Amino acid sequence: MGDVTLPRPIRRILLLDCDQFFVQCARLADPDGAGREALLLVGGSPAGRGVVTSASYETRAFGVHSGMPTAAALRLCPRARVVSVPRRICGEKSRAVRAVLGRFSPLVEAASIDEAYLDLTGTERLYAGESLHDTATRIQQTVLEETAIQTSVGGGTCKLVAKLAVERAKPAGVRIVAPGAEAEFLATFRLADIPGVGPVFTEELKRFGLVLVADVQRLSERALSELLGEGRGEWLYRRAHGVDEGRVHPEHTPRSMSRDETFPHDLQRLADLERELLALTARVGADLRDAGYRARTITLKIRDADFRTRQASRTVADALETDRAIDHVARELLHKLHAARRIGTRLLGVAASGLVPAGDAAQLGLFEAERALETDRDRRLDRTADAIRERFGRNSLKRGGLRG
Amino acid sequence: MKFKITRDNLQQGLAAVGASIPTRTTLPVLSNILIEVGEDSVAMSGTDLDIAVSVSVPAEVDDPGSLTVPAKKLQELARELPEHPVRLSTKGDRLELTCGRAAFRLNGMPRDEFPTFPAVDFTNSWKVMGSTLHGLIRQTSFAVSSEESRPILNGVLWQLGEDQMRMVATNGHRLARMTVAVSAPGAPRTDLIVPPKALAQVERLFGSDDEVEVARSENHIGFRKAGTQVFTRLIEGPYPNYEQVIPKDNDRFAIAGRNLLTQALRRMAVVASDQTHRVRLSFTTNTLRFAVETPDLGEAHEDLEVEYAGEPMDIGFNANYLLEVLRYMPGEDVKLTFKAPERAATLEPVSREGEPVPDYLCLVMPLRLLD
Repeated sequence: MGDVTLPRPIRRILLLDCDQFFVQCARLADPDGAGREALLLVGGSPAGRGVVTSASYETRAFGVHSGMPTAAALRLCPRARVVSVPRRICGEKSRAVRAVLGRFSPLVEAASIDEAYLDLTGTERLYAGESLHDTATRIQQTVLEETAIQTSVGGGTCKLVAKLAVERAKPAGVRIVAPGAEAEFLATFRLADIPGVGPVFTEELKRFGLVLVADVQRLSERALSELLGEGRGEWLYRRAHGVDEGRVHPEHTPRSMSRDETFPHDLQRLADLERELLALTARVGADLRDAGYRARTITLKIRDADFRTRQASRTVADALETDRAIDHVARELLHKLHAARRIGTRLLGVAASGLVPAGDAAQLGLFEAERALETDRDRRLDRTADAIRERFGRNSLKRGGLRG
Repeated sequence: MKFKITRDNLQQGLAAVGASIPTRTTLPVLSNILIEVGEDSVAMSGTDLDIAVSVSVPAEVDDPGSLTVPAKKLQELARELPEHPVRLSTKGDRLELTCGRAAFRLNGMPRDEFPTFPAVDFTNSWKVMGSTLHGLIRQTSFAVSSEESRPILNGVLWQLGEDQMRMVATNGHRLARMTVAVSAPGAPRTDLIVPPKALAQVERLFGSDDEVEVARSENHIGFRKAGTQVFTRLIEGPYPNYEQVIPKDNDRFAIAGRNLLTQALRRMAVVASDQTHRVRLSFTTNTLRFAVETPDLGEAHEDLEVEYAGEPMDIGFNANYLLEVLRYMPGEDVKLTFKAPERAATLEPVSREGEPVPDYLCLVMPLRLLD
């Protein structure tokens, strides 16, 4: 008997993205105030520090977008009202939306607080031949009815296509790319729109005359690999043709955990930055321990007074979870970045990535005592401190450098 | 300068030096290759300030002289040239190259912008066969650390003894040690810590039959034969006391076929966690059972027949560390020794029917198992 290969089912992936999520939440939190405001900015402060987390569609007509400094946004749109992020309701709504999605498919992956992938592969019969477009519309309506959150939905045969499709669906729309039409759909984008193609890669591609996805589609995989090296060439070739085999992971191990702080005034002195860093690393450490992870990579991000953002990272062999070890690594990175450019600092951020479940990270070392960044004793100390804070409040216990 | 060279000689010279030239550098002249034309040969040199490589290739010289030109461009160009003699000459800081009916001009930079090579005096040099160096380098340098936190572990320890040479490398989790009985008259009795990148160049540029001349200055070491030289900075500082961590009292041992062990581990590694690569090895009488369990992904297990007569024991490892070590292990069978689940394990080649085996030892630290 010859080999029998079953045809692989065509994947049906949706990405549901909440439209201007923080703005919607801010309006729901304060229906008579923010709720009546068309020109609404969420995030930052009226004094103009911090950045816009989310901008209402009405303000976007003025050129405002999220990630922009609130001060700059207010210059473009002086009549806008600035409110802070309503954290509690954002968390509640995010969970409520995910609960609705969980009824449509067991495979739901929260990609961030306001977007989630659903894998509906193999549900065709369950939904009695309903088209993916109709299923998506039904999910969208159910979410709106039950949570009052307006969403857009993109869909196709992979996460990449769903992600790009949802951009075309906003606001409040549904956009499904039919199986087989991926390359044609991708051809309408710029390479920089593909997730994973960052500013540096974009510049590099531009030097080869590659700006549009269509520019890459004209090349063979081999030609592309010769330009970019095998790994990156193959990666980009697949992406440009709408191929992405990434699975929808329920209970996804987070990729990273990060904390950052925008200061009321630009900080100039290294000592002040170190003090802020100590607070940030303690928060990242607590997040990691709370979620039960350790991190192999620590990244420090600095935004200079002139808005240039710089970052440096270090990967260590033994994953870390204690405040002391994370601070030790981050501090070295801070010294490096601080020395490279002497200018005031507007924002400082610490990210932990390369996460492994805490119980999994037990590689024993040859020269343990003299090299370990953190020991079992350090870990016990931090866990005890966490337990005290849990019981007596976050400010009940602080590290020496943070008192006062 | 002005000379004629065969396309093959040009390609060969550029390929030999090209690998030592950094692709990204803050000092633009470092991405150039230095061409120095002597009486009847052309020397090509490149450096990244840590390592410097220089090779000579034969050429018909009209006028001696020197220039530096972008290495990558010249190498790409040489690759595409038709099979004709290549004529090169300078005009100011530009290189003019003609081959068949094609002509090129490349902008260069003057020779004096190029850093000078470290001065290593070969008066007190010693000699080693290329084959000896190859063996030592190949079997150990894979084990160096790539982490910046402990620069000393980024190098390979080269110990020169009375009648033996040894190289050792470790990243603090696994270690490789190779010893060769050889006397090198004139060699200092000393420990050198050499960057693996430089050793890779030595392995590449010197043949097994070459007698390699080696000399050191305070901070550098040089390797040379006629027409080829490699210099490198030495890593400073005391190397950790590795002898102390090599277990002497491991009393349990297993003997397994290297290929079968490798194949089974590779299969297990597919299902092991991407972050920890954890695999469990359970030894019972004459059986080794592998098992992996990765929460998001799945499970796997496999049994392998081995020689084992000790008490049953479970021990965890990073599958990649074991696979790496097995790749460099000579011979068909490998002997693994243990003391306890949280103590260092060793791997050595096994002698069959009294055949001599290389003096080679690898050590792998376990991963703690969760029960």
